[in-house]
Amino acid sequence: MTANPAPPNAAVPSSKETGKPLLHVDQIGIAFGGLKAVQGFSLNLPTGALYGLIGPNGAGKTTVFNLLTGVYQADSGQMLLDSQNLMGSKPHRIAAAGIARTFQNIRLFPGLSVLDNVRLAGQLRSSHGLLATLLRTPAHQAEEAAIRKQAFDLLAIFDLQDRANEPADSLCYGHQRHLEIVRALATGPKVLLLDEPAAGMNSQEKVELAQAIRKIRDQFQVSILLIEHDMGLVMEICERIVVLDHGVIISEGTPAMIQNDPKVIAAYLGGGVEAA
Amino acid sequence: MAHSAPETPAKVTMQSAETRRSHDSIWRGLLPLALGMVLALALQFVLPAIVGQYNSRIVMDIGIAMIMAVSLNIVNGMTGQFSIGHAGFMTLGGYTAAMLTYYGSLYMWGAPPAHGHFLGAGEWMMAGACIVGGLVAAGAGYVVGLPSLRLRGDYLAIVTLGFGEILRVVLQQTSKVIEDPAALKAAKWSQLFPPPVGGAIGFADVPKYTNLFWVYTFVTITVVVAYRLKNSSLGRAMISIREDEIASQAMGVNIARNKVLAFVLAAFFAGTAGGLFAHESGVIISPKDAGFQRSFDYVIMTVLGGRGSITGVMLAASILTALPEMLRDFEQYRLIMYALLLIIMMLVRPQGLFGIHEIWQLWPGKGTRTVQKKA
Ligand SMILES: Nc1ncnc2c1ncn2[C@@H]1O[C@H](COP(=O)(O)OP(=O)(O)OP(=O)(O)O)[C@@H](O)[C@H]1O
Ligand SMILES: [Mg+2]
Repeated sequence: MTANPAPPNAAVPSSKETGKPLLHVDQIGIAFGGLKAVQGFSLNLPTGALYGLIGPNGAGKTTVFNLLTGVYQADSGQMLLDSQNLMGSKPHRIAAAGIARTFQNIRLFPGLSVLDNVRLAGQLRSSHGLLATLLRTPAHQAEEAAIRKQAFDLLAIFDLQDRANEPADSLCYGHQRHLEIVRALATGPKVLLLDEPAAGMNSQEKVELAQAIRKIRDQFQVSILLIEHDMGLVMEICERIVVLDHGVIISEGTPAMIQNDPKVIAAYLGGGVEAA
Repeated sequence: MAHSAPETPAKVTMQSAETRRSHDSIWRGLLPLALGMVLALALQFVLPAIVGQYNSRIVMDIGIAMIMAVSLNIVNGMTGQFSIGHAGFMTLGGYTAAMLTYYGSLYMWGAPPAHGHFLGAGEWMMAGACIVGGLVAAGAGYVVGLPSLRLRGDYLAIVTLGFGEILRVVLQQTSKVIEDPAALKAAKWSQLFPPPVGGAIGFADVPKYTNLFWVYTFVTITVVVAYRLKNSSLGRAMISIREDEIASQAMGVNIARNKVLAFVLAAFFAGTAGGLFAHESGVIISPKDAGFQRSFDYVIMTVLGGRGSITGVMLAASILTALPEMLRDFEQYRLIMYALLLIIMMLVRPQGLFGIHEIWQLWPGKGTRTVQKKA
């Protein structure tokens, strides 16, 4: 195993060859009671793309991630990953299909070690049957060893190998965010959803994070959708940006287009949050 | 992770070496079981001579409590669910095993009392019956585990509690034990409902085969299984559910499967423990064994031992089984003592004696940094 795990379905022609987008989302939406949190959200994410998803607080960005990962079931619309229908799938099936995420309000397994957080995600594509586990068959042992090796390789991205045996909640905030990314990568995703990975980081850390995100995209051949409030970071690394406000897409395009879109500027100024 | 090795002439020899290695490692995999059985044999023949019959009996009770507490900890400690009906599975397994040996003996040998010497036919019959009892309990564990997919916390606790209490009431309604071999041979299958297991007074005259060897053989199996589970992908998946269900799902863990699997496994071992209990001399397994009080004892053991700590829970099972025996005169204060112990524990060490760690991990310099765990 190298640090770069083989894509889960190497035999299936990837979207690059077929010309279709890797992730195709069409008109999904959800309402909580009367509140239409997300409405008519569409997105076409090609293989290896790095897109941004921005919008004022409460715009519905995290809700989009929750829809894409099956935490919430979309009321309507269509979601296809490599032509595989994801509508109505359970979160663990969506993870297996190849969508991994990080959480805005960090959700590591606090009592598990750093290593085990990553191993837990890394075991997604292994069989671990009950009998093999209890008998410790050679195949099972080999599988466990491979998972461990892969976990260390991935931890190296953010220099976390030396903290492998510490509990996850003993890491400082920034490292916990790093670990969230490593854990998501360990599932061997095709699409990586990052929910405000730079939150709480200083500018130096943000620069390093931007480099790391690019490196991950290139090295692992994943498509990345990035939610981030730091406009500098988003504009710098994202190829295209989708802007949400009050649950609907108000603009979409390259960073330059977004920066000059009056609707975007109005949404941010109206929301009274950060200036775009 | 599949490695697709290129076809080479060396492949044949590699494979045979691999087969040999795989045989070796299966033996190595069974080694702890063999060691445990040797230890169990030693206990059987040495312990009574040293500590006497009465204390040996307590050590036997401790073993049964260990099986119960360690298995309950798979559900309560590893997956973080809250079952308070573990004695129900134990009693179901116990009655099942007792029925098999009692009626089996009556049928084959014309009389239920113990048949054969140490490791004789009767004892093997009991061991088999314990496993069947475990399987029946596991089936019940599956059914009781299903609501765990929809219910959490207190609500699930009430379902498991309800299971034990319902079983208790149902067992009270069972019919009288058939004592005559001729009557048994004449009996119709319809007499199985309600089963003839003695009703409210309990199932008397079950042959008494349980001894230190068998108890600690089953303890070994339980502990080896629990330990291997804990240190594997499967166990990690269960523990991740306890830590954060949403994140666990997002990382591909099938929560439903793992929760039910935990219930089934735990119930299986509780069932075998029930079988050993039913065949213990001086014990008449009765409906009240399925009730809340006994379940509560095991819950306390897991809370005191530490969620997910196998050795911690074994220690707690030993202490909480031996202590009441030594303080027989204060029997009426037992529950008060338990309650006090729990309160003190919650205040002083809410994570249990060992938290989520094993006894050897508490040694200075051996990963103690990972020991600290907030409540
Ligand atoms: N489970 C829920 N039940 C009810 N309302 C919800 C739920 N989840 C989200 N919402 C609402 O949906 C809206 C969008 O929330 P969401 O968390 O997606 O915003 P966001 O764009 O991620 O904001 P932020 O930048 O602050 O993270 C908010 O008004 C929020 O209160
Ligand atoms: Mg959000």
